[in-house]
Amino acid sequence: MSPQDNRKPGPPRIAATEQMKQLITNYYIEAKTTQEKPICWITSGGPVEFLIAMGVIPVYPENHGAMCGAAKVAVGLAEVAEGMGFSPDLCSYARLDIGGVATQGGAIPGGLLKPDFLLCCNNICGTVVKWYEELSRTWGVPMFLFDTPFIHGSRPEHATEYVKAQCLELVAFLEEHTGKKWSDERFEEVAMLSVEGVDLWKEVLKTAESRPSPFTCFDAFIHMAPIVTLRGTREVVDYYRLLRDEMRARVENGIGAVADEKYRLIWDNIPIWYAMRSLGNLFADNGACLVADTYTTAWAVDIRIDDPLTSMADAYTKVYLNISIDLMLEQLAALMERFSADGLVMHSNRSCKPYSLGQYDLSRAITEKTGKPALIIEADMTDSRAYSEAQTRERVEAFIESL
Amino acid sequence: MRKYGRKTMAGEALRELMELREDPYSRARAWKERTGGMALGFFCCSAPEEFVHAAGALPVRITGENRGVTRSPAHLQSYCCSLARTGLDMALDGSLSFLDGTVFLHTCDTMQRLSDIWRLNAGFVVHADVVLPVRFESESAWTYMTAELEAFKEKLEGLLGPIDDERIAGSIKTYNRNRELLGRIYAMRRADPSVLRYEEALWLVTSSALVEKSEHNKLLEAVVGDLEESGAAAAEGDAGAEEPVGLLGIGSVMDQWEFLEMVREAGATFVDDDFCNGHRYLETMTPEDLPPVEAVARRLWDRSACPCKHVPSRSRAGCIVNRAKESGARGAVFFQFKFCEPHAFDYPHVKKALDDAGIPSLNLEFEQGSVSIGQMRTRVEALVETIRG
Repeated sequence: MSPQDNRKPGPPRIAATEQMKQLITNYYIEAKTTQEKPICWITSGGPVEFLIAMGVIPVYPENHGAMCGAAKVAVGLAEVAEGMGFSPDLCSYARLDIGGVATQGGAIPGGLLKPDFLLCCNNICGTVVKWYEELSRTWGVPMFLFDTPFIHGSRPEHATEYVKAQCLELVAFLEEHTGKKWSDERFEEVAMLSVEGVDLWKEVLKTAESRPSPFTCFDAFIHMAPIVTLRGTREVVDYYRLLRDEMRARVENGIGAVADEKYRLIWDNIPIWYAMRSLGNLFADNGACLVADTYTTAWAVDIRIDDPLTSMADAYTKVYLNISIDLMLEQLAALMERFSADGLVMHSNRSCKPYSLGQYDLSRAITEKTGKPALIIEADMTDSRAYSEAQTRERVEAFIESL
Repeated sequence: MRKYGRKTMAGEALRELMELREDPYSRARAWKERTGGMALGFFCCSAPEEFVHAAGALPVRITGENRGVTRSPAHLQSYCCSLARTGLDMALDGSLSFLDGTVFLHTCDTMQRLSDIWRLNAGFVVHADVVLPVRFESESAWTYMTAELEAFKEKLEGLLGPIDDERIAGSIKTYNRNRELLGRIYAMRRADPSVLRYEEALWLVTSSALVEKSEHNKLLEAVVGDLEESGAAAAEGDAGAEEPVGLLGIGSVMDQWEFLEMVREAGATFVDDDFCNGHRYLETMTPEDLPPVEAVARRLWDRSACPCKHVPSRSRAGCIVNRAKESGARGAVFFQFKFCEPHAFDYPHVKKALDDAGIPSLNLEFEQGSVSIGQMRTRVEALVETIRG
């Protein structure tokens, strides 16, 4: 008997999912078939607004990595990279991407389209610098490193100036490699759309403050794809308005994502993509709803229209993964408070050191600060060889029981 | 440890330095007791030591230890490198209690988080982060770098009082002298590896970050003077055997002395390296004709590619192949920390560049405290055999 048979029915599927799938499919079709638009591979925390403003199609190997993880093709691709000499201890997104490039494989038929250039922003990790250097060598294309100094405590003025200066260097880089002229007006338009999209995404996330929550973070992980990949476009704004309205309607009608929401939890770290369904069911079966997470909120940064460059430099530097543990603790505690959370679930992700190292200290500090317990699950975001479902089930059930 | 039988200055000085290997921080502890000055630890060899020295403090490098860990597992996952895990363990169990504080350089994701964990748990009075740029090729990065170094200097001044330019100039000279002497040792060994064992040469570099620099210079001067005068100072006993196969060592910190002895027994020797407690530490001089902050920045900027820095015009693979060729190495050994991302990412393309240059190589991964020399011996012997043909 599968555990599914005892499950109380949840709410119907989120209707906007269809639109999102269409949006992402269209985006990948364009990226695969474009003849005239340049392609730029970009890191998930990168300043995509510059690319959109220059008519460049952004392609996200990390997004593709998540798809490969969910489609359970990640391990095969990672093994290709391991065969090429890349250590199995390296980030699994990087490994599967390198394997994907070598075999033109992945979750999309034929793999990702060849980039014309690369935009790497190290506000999420130093790993991406090494990964993109490898891509730059393999594809033989130029790479722009957008270097965002890590914030230990306070941020010095010279760091802000450095990042601002790089915004202009990036513009010059894009002009050189696209042959197009930069337009401040176009950029402002894109920045405004980005702000609008981000604001709507924040409104979507905010609906989960309600009890019961209309969605879980497992839904958010899926519906974050447009804000990560296509912010700054009109389609994203339209899409999140639709999703927000649907979530607000759920709140008004008292529809919860988990049939009988007893416990509200916060998720920390990148999802365990290949175990999303089983984990989602596991928590739901035990009356626990993961109402918010530190991952999808990372794309909820502020850009000010009156001074887009300065505020972009600011926003891209202070993202969650680019700040010290004590600053993370403040944000995490605020998130717990805002979403009335009963506990914290941390994914200790062997692929992601900036996210995971420090979690042991954070978990103790959060309990001390909020009185709420924390659970740590050891796994990997896409490499299922580092995951034990049975052990995780046991630990999650024991944790929820203790709440 | 082998005996340094010769009753010469070099023999004495070399013995004195080699003995430090048994208790690497004994000199630093003694300095602290004697002077009551401030001792500051650092992990990365890009630390602006000259400022610390000019402020009258003692910069001391921490490179972890060959030991098991008991306290750090409560803070660091097992998929974190042993350099961070053993280093933190030392801080937490009091092994580094002679330090007043620590200076963290931004190198990799692990060091970045270790800095936070260290600051929150190790209980030192002083903590500084020097977040150097990762990009090393633009005017904005240069401007940022000098401002960040200036900010660090100001932080030191806040702790220890004003540091005038003349004192920094003096420290720069002392440090350059040290690098020059170490460079001469490396050059002598490239010309004739038998003048000094590699593990001795490497320890001379390593120890220079553990001993007050002018004291270290005095000892080095004795070693170098004697070596240059008489050739092989303490190498009796190594003679007579078949000429060893020259290898290049590649990695970050190399502190596996037993491994190096095994390599020698296997009929090989490292003729040069790309370790950051080896050649990479000594290779570039700080300009003596520039204002202090700019001078210190210049040296860091001009150093050969560290895998933690993005320098598109300077290929790390190219630098390593050149170093192999210049030293006459016939093979190379990658000796890398398990879980070290910057080095592991570079391995495949650097290996390929070596292959293309006809230099066979071997990739060995290790964790401090759990190195299996036996397994490595088989692989090193196979490499030596391949080279001898």
